[in-house]
Amino acid sequence: MAKVLVIADIKQGVLKGSTAELLSKAKSIGAETAVVAIGCNINMLIPNLVSAGSDTQYVADDPGLELFSAGPYASCVVDAAKKFDANLIWFGFSENSKALAPRVAARLDAACATEITDVMLSGDQIEVIRPAITNKVIQRVKVNTKKLVAVVRAGAFEATKGIAGTENVVKLSPPEQDLKALIKKILTDASGEIDLADADIVVSVGRGAKDLAGVNLVKELATDLKAGFGSSRAMVDAGLMAHNKQVGQTGKIVAPTLYVAIGISGAIQHLAGMNGSKVILAVNKDPEAPIFNVADYGIVGDLFEVVPILREEIKKIRH
Amino acid sequence: MKILTTVKKVVDVELNIHLKDGVIVEDGLQYVINAWDESAVEASVRLKENKGAETTLVSIGGGDNSDMIRRCYAMGIEKGIHIDDPALAKADSSIFAKVLQKVYEKGNYDLVITGKQAQDTDSGQTGIILAEYLGLPCVSNVIAIEVMDDKHIKVSRSGDDGTEIVELELPAVITVDVSINEPRLPQMRGIMMAKKKAIDVMDLAALGTSPDDVGCATPKSGIVEFMASKMRKAGKKFEGDAAEITAQVVNLLANEAKVL
Repeated sequence: MAKVLVIADIKQGVLKGSTAELLSKAKSIGAETAVVAIGCNINMLIPNLVSAGSDTQYVADDPGLELFSAGPYASCVVDAAKKFDANLIWFGFSENSKALAPRVAARLDAACATEITDVMLSGDQIEVIRPAITNKVIQRVKVNTKKLVAVVRAGAFEATKGIAGTENVVKLSPPEQDLKALIKKILTDASGEIDLADADIVVSVGRGAKDLAGVNLVKELATDLKAGFGSSRAMVDAGLMAHNKQVGQTGKIVAPTLYVAIGISGAIQHLAGMNGSKVILAVNKDPEAPIFNVADYGIVGDLFEVVPILREEIKKIRH
Repeated sequence: MKILTTVKKVVDVELNIHLKDGVIVEDGLQYVINAWDESAVEASVRLKENKGAETTLVSIGGGDNSDMIRRCYAMGIEKGIHIDDPALAKADSSIFAKVLQKVYEKGNYDLVITGKQAQDTDSGQTGIILAEYLGLPCVSNVIAIEVMDDKHIKVSRSGDDGTEIVELELPAVITVDVSINEPRLPQMRGIMMAKKKAIDVMDLAALGTSPDDVGCATPKSGIVEFMASKMRKAGKKFEGDAAEITAQVVNLLANEAKVL
């Protein structure tokens, strides 16, 4: 029987939706499930870990784990994977997951696959499906090891209700600090903002917004919609948006119910980060912009004219 | 400071990819330097110019890589190694990392800079696995590098919650994001000089290893087949009076798509 270890996705003290999604998938293939939670002051999340669908909870709770540090975090995952004897070790999509998965795989001498959208089991044989070449093709990959470490692409699996597990907490001893890669601080501007990774609606701003005034105009629309606020690469390179707001192949991969692209032309690198969205709305003044090839609804027009009207119309129906 | 930079030749993603019987049709493909690796090259050359670092690049596989390596020479890289061996045709990230480990161990490097992923596989594993094999500290997704002293660098990593500032003890491995810099265009003088420079091409035996030693017989994973991506279809596009069409679209979002 498959044994799936899911790495709990905890951000600023909150358990994110991907954890339940991955555990749901694990249960749907009849696997035994465990979760590993790493951080500082996270014991109060144990009930959430249980209700997300885990039957064993490995918890590494230590002041030394307050800031993300790939080496020690990977040690915790490896520790849990060995204790649980997991053959599938799954991360939800995040920058930290991308840093951890190859480390964990190397230490377990396991195969590693990133951005997977599906997994197939047949006896001991594991296969995965994943996009490649900037989303232009899909690969079917055969795993030749007994163990697979994988990062699951955002939106690949759905959470099912009523899959609560049972509480069986195993404390992990804190790993040693990585003194050779010492994290000093995090410069963050994300406080109080809606997390892009699990926002139901994402509004992203592109080059068409021109400057800070344009960015702020689009941000107001995001605020109205209680949406995550993302960006194309051009706006990050121009210094108008923070690096961790970039949606695309090299940044965040998002799959919200509604993705609103404002002033974004739609380079394939950007599309690779959002084309799993359920519905896409694009506003662009260039009728030939490639974003319209993937948008369910397109408004050809100047965003400085359209966005204020959009806000008004949305207020009318939501009042 | 001795820097080893890794460079991969990859398909040009701006062109269409065609499939036949589960494999990519070679005809019509063009190959370019992986964009993330180009940023790694630029970062290395800047450390050469500003801090007197010595720069070596290594590329694995991909047949004739001389055009790409000469382009990197023209950007300012001093030495180029190309590991080419038919045994590497089906190599996965772990095998690439093993080969890089052998290259590293022959050169006594202080810093390895790799692109954070390659645009053909989008895997993002090799640099990190290399660091694990070497037992070196590693930071991925780096967007800025600052040299502190002979033994330490300070890097910025774009993390989930913001920019993380990490002090790294050398030797170390970093993987860089494309936003770390704007790679320079090679200039004519550099291009002319690059033509005369030698490339150290070697197979695994010349590197002092063997296909078995780096795991070629036992890749941890392998591609069974390629399939076409599910393409989204263009939906409804509205042109005309902004007030009118915007109201229309909001109505559709609410009542047709039911997402508002």
